[in-house]
Amino acid sequence: MPFFTAAPEAVPGAVSATDQALVLSLIVLPLIGFGLTALIGRRLGGRAWIIAVAAIVLTWLAAMVLVYQTLFVGAFGEAGLHVLVYEWIPAGAFTVDIAFGVDALTAVMLIVVATVGMLVHIYSIGYMAHDPGRWRFFAYLNLFMFSMLLLVLADNFLLLFVAWELVGLCSYLLVGFWYRRRSAALAAKKAFLVNRVGDVGFTLGIVAIWTTVGTLDFGQVFQLLPEALATGAIEQWHMIGICLLLFAGAMGKSAQFPLHVWLPDAMEGPTPVSALIHAATMVNAGVYLVARSNPLFAQAPEALVVVAAVGIFTAIMAASIAFTQTDIKRVLAYSTLSQLGYMFAALGVGAFIPAIFHLLTHGFFKGLLFLGSGSVIHAVHDEQDMDRMGGLRKRIAITHLTMLVGSLAIAGIPPLAGFFSKDEILAESFKLGFAWVWFIGIVVALMTGFYMFRLMGKTFYGPSHVDPEVEPRIHESPRSMTVPLVVLAVASAVVGLALGFPFENGILHGWLEPVFHGAEETLGHAGGDYQLFGIDGTLLLISTGVSVAGVLLGWRFFGFLSRRPQPEAVERLTQRLRPAYAFSKGKWYFDELNDLLFVRLGGLVARALWWFDVHIIDGTVNGIANLTRSSGGGLRQIQTGHVQNYALGIAAGLLIIALGYLVVVTR
Amino acid sequence: MVLSGVPLLTVVTFAPLVGALLIALVPRQREGLIRWLALTAAVVAFVASLALLVDFRPDIAGFQAVEEVGWIPAFGIEYKLGLDGISLVLVILTTTLSAISILASFGPIKSRMKEYLISFLILEVGLIGVFLALDLFLFYIFWEIVLVPMYLIIGIWGGTNRIYATLKFVLYTLVGSLLMLVAILATAFSFQAATGSWAGAFDFEQLRTFGFDPGLQFLAFGAFFLAFAIKVPMFPLHTWLPDAHVEAPTAGSVILAAVMLKLGAYGFIRFALPLFPQAAQEWAPAIIVLSLIAIIYGAIVALVQPDLKKLVAYSSVSHMGFVTLGIFIFQEQGLQGAILQMVNHGVITGALFLLVGVIYERTHDRAIAKMGGLAAPTPVYAAIFGFFMLASLGLPGMSGFVGEFLVLLGTFDVSPIAAAIATFVIILSAAYLMWMFQRVVFGELSDFLRGLGHHLTDMTPRELLTVTPLVGLTLALGVAPGLVLDLIAMPVTEVLARVAAPLVGAAGP
Repeated sequence: MPFFTAAPEAVPGAVSATDQALVLSLIVLPLIGFGLTALIGRRLGGRAWIIAVAAIVLTWLAAMVLVYQTLFVGAFGEAGLHVLVYEWIPAGAFTVDIAFGVDALTAVMLIVVATVGMLVHIYSIGYMAHDPGRWRFFAYLNLFMFSMLLLVLADNFLLLFVAWELVGLCSYLLVGFWYRRRSAALAAKKAFLVNRVGDVGFTLGIVAIWTTVGTLDFGQVFQLLPEALATGAIEQWHMIGICLLLFAGAMGKSAQFPLHVWLPDAMEGPTPVSALIHAATMVNAGVYLVARSNPLFAQAPEALVVVAAVGIFTAIMAASIAFTQTDIKRVLAYSTLSQLGYMFAALGVGAFIPAIFHLLTHGFFKGLLFLGSGSVIHAVHDEQDMDRMGGLRKRIAITHLTMLVGSLAIAGIPPLAGFFSKDEILAESFKLGFAWVWFIGIVVALMTGFYMFRLMGKTFYGPSHVDPEVEPRIHESPRSMTVPLVVLAVASAVVGLALGFPFENGILHGWLEPVFHGAEETLGHAGGDYQLFGIDGTLLLISTGVSVAGVLLGWRFFGFLSRRPQPEAVERLTQRLRPAYAFSKGKWYFDELNDLLFVRLGGLVARALWWFDVHIIDGTVNGIANLTRSSGGGLRQIQTGHVQNYALGIAAGLLIIALGYLVVVTR
Repeated sequence: MVLSGVPLLTVVTFAPLVGALLIALVPRQREGLIRWLALTAAVVAFVASLALLVDFRPDIAGFQAVEEVGWIPAFGIEYKLGLDGISLVLVILTTTLSAISILASFGPIKSRMKEYLISFLILEVGLIGVFLALDLFLFYIFWEIVLVPMYLIIGIWGGTNRIYATLKFVLYTLVGSLLMLVAILATAFSFQAATGSWAGAFDFEQLRTFGFDPGLQFLAFGAFFLAFAIKVPMFPLHTWLPDAHVEAPTAGSVILAAVMLKLGAYGFIRFALPLFPQAAQEWAPAIIVLSLIAIIYGAIVALVQPDLKKLVAYSSVSHMGFVTLGIFIFQEQGLQGAILQMVNHGVITGALFLLVGVIYERTHDRAIAKMGGLAAPTPVYAAIFGFFMLASLGLPGMSGFVGEFLVLLGTFDVSPIAAAIATFVIILSAAYLMWMFQRVVFGELSDFLRGLGHHLTDMTPRELLTVTPLVGLTLALGVAPGLVLDLIAMPVTEVLARVAAPLVGAAGP
């Protein structure tokens, strides 16, 4: 081609080969990493991480190019980039493609998934260095990255569901990584099963969507379903039903009440897994699903109220349990539930962008806190009970400092990341007319500061309760672990200010506005001016005030830096609130209830049905057979032993039956 | 058209018989040669079945590669074989699993190898014949041929309670199939009475456009239903299955689950629906209810099974419930899903029985309570077992998911309530499979297994060779279900068109 020919105009919908390759590489690289590590990782011994980490670093680079193209250059417009790979299921009128889409929402998700994913991979080099099964671990981690990237890239509901199940599989494999431990195997199974409860709803939701509009493609569904509602082809309850079914799936994956019970148990997995899967990425999938489906939820405000109620209830319930747990990872797990609850509350009130904002910041600071807790556990030789920690501040200084940043961030102390995103959620809840959500949210903010600084105090401040055997051997973690901590701490410190300021009009709002604009319009959310010296400033002050109060309360009881903890005061408080304490410590007794309902009662039903099968159904069959045999005794004379006679008998019998038929037929 | 002129269907069907005859001529001491002959015959059948794909045109309605020879002209009975997409995929399933099963038998079968392999090859003839026969009498012959070798395989090479199990299996199936024979005769008589000639009275292609009298339809469908429902098996006619599975040798269980259970479902799709469309409509609601019961009930009972084989057997009841649900919901995606599910169930459950056989070879036990901690001493086994455990619970990316999902989709289209009930099984199937897997593979090595010492070895190359193709198939059909769906699309629309608009026969009353 002559060089002076003008470049052809970009055809709408046409996708350049480079962009296609970029999107595909996000999926393919981790998959190759998984395959190679699974095949030859074992032979690499101590270097089993090499392929997996290399694959993820490359994936991260590709993801960042894509994020840059999407968010900063705007190369793909508002509709985003769409890549069709092939037709996956061709079943008559029902066809589903393997197709990927990248828009602003996906790009924001990619930032969290790829970045935290890469840091967790690097961190795991050190954390898993002494585990003989590390090759398996890295193979699973790569498989998870493949699945999670598939989840955020999927361009239709069924492919999303595929990824949804695959991340669940990875969670199963990684929670049960130390499969010799019965508790780990149980937790892995529990996580998968509870998720499947939600999946029943999700599956039916997907099926209902297809039977309504005949497609599962995001773009078409989000256009056709609202149209069907507008033209009266479907009724309002239909839309509400679809949204609630989808939300059921979201409740499972994002561990919302009453399907939250699996997440705390999932802490049986190695800590990097808790950071990656159970804090920063997979558990956000439910939030992502609802956010992605915003054009549907916007048409079903009734469903959104349910989302808000479930979310805010989970937020306060989980926070109340986090008060009394002594396992450092479980405190963080309940904190994760609580923060996910915030995100759903935000979605429920129609504050979609703040929800995603919080997802982003939470991904960084909760990833940081989990990795920090892993560093603590590493330092005190696999001890997770905070009652057997304390005074670690100077012994593991980097871990302490980074976790302090994370704790302040989650508590919502300005100008750290959590402050911006949490404040937006609370402020918008109030302004959009959900004062009850706002009020409970404020209480949760107070609680968050308190339980986080209880955790910090018990772990880092005051006198040491570490096993004297271990005490002299406490050490800071290797570079591969501390560097990711520092990177995440920096992110937790600045990402809120960078993306969320000025309030409600930050860069992130600019990015995500096109995705949620239609939904906000449908819900009638007029974007009023931000009034720093009016309602907004007041709300800001209140939420900041309670956050600080929570933190100070934590300091008062559990110490801070050189300030001594007050165990007597804690004890007095515990005694005074005995029943509430027991309720919180017992995790609201959900596990006991589930055990009774599903394990015991369910087992009883299953055993009863088996008895029925053996004694009633099969008993009837055998009874008939025996009856035939005994009545046959009298007819034994006919049994001559000559085959011809039998043949005659059979033929005669058949003839009689056939004649009988003919009589019936011809009547 | 490279293969035109070769009666390929006959070759596929009778290649195993040739093998069986040759084996009969070999002295029993030459076991190596016998094995080699059996495997070769099975592989020839397999290759020939793949060759069917070469000239197959998925876009053509009706049957292809039809081979037709007069047999008993007095009654219009013919030797007639023909192929459509549904029979094609099931024939390939049969030849694949048969070859694998024969290979899998070489270790476990310790006595009378010659007779065993002859039985197995004859069994394969019957199975393939059922899927290809287009003459109802011929179909019945093949249908009954299947029974004899399976009776022997369970009764001679089975476990301790084998006689009880095999008699139960045979009598149960015989009751159903004899009634079916009566119904076949009744339809032939009715056809003859209406047309005045026996010509075509057993020819399926003639009969399926003949509108039978509703009364006859109702009764004949009932007889066919009983025969097929026992074979599937549908609740409450399923209790022969756990007994047969427990007593059967590994390869017997594999073929029983992977192929024999498909005979009933195939019978519904091929014969019962097109021949008696009105009756099928009348019977459908009851059959759907029975299917839903089977799906949930089989899964719940599977939860508490103490024996690995019984657990997989009850899971089959549940999975096959999806097949009958998909068939009788009379909806395109539902029926496509049902057929896909037949293939998937064959591959996945066949593999699960192979894997149970692997552990049985080493422990001579199948009690879940005695197992535990297999992941450490036998990592390859644990990984492959885990793979099929996940496939069986319908993990997306593997084949089981697409079939189940299509059935749910089709069912929801017709009856959202029925779909909602059926969907609950995704919790139950995960529960019984994962619980089983946890008790067998996770945890510390059990005392029982520890006591086996060095006998507890990982999978041998031969065992790996039997399951690897099934791993490949499970992934391939999960990622590209079109491999099957494209083949069955046309016959599915034909069957449904027939059910939706039953023709009134030229001479019907």
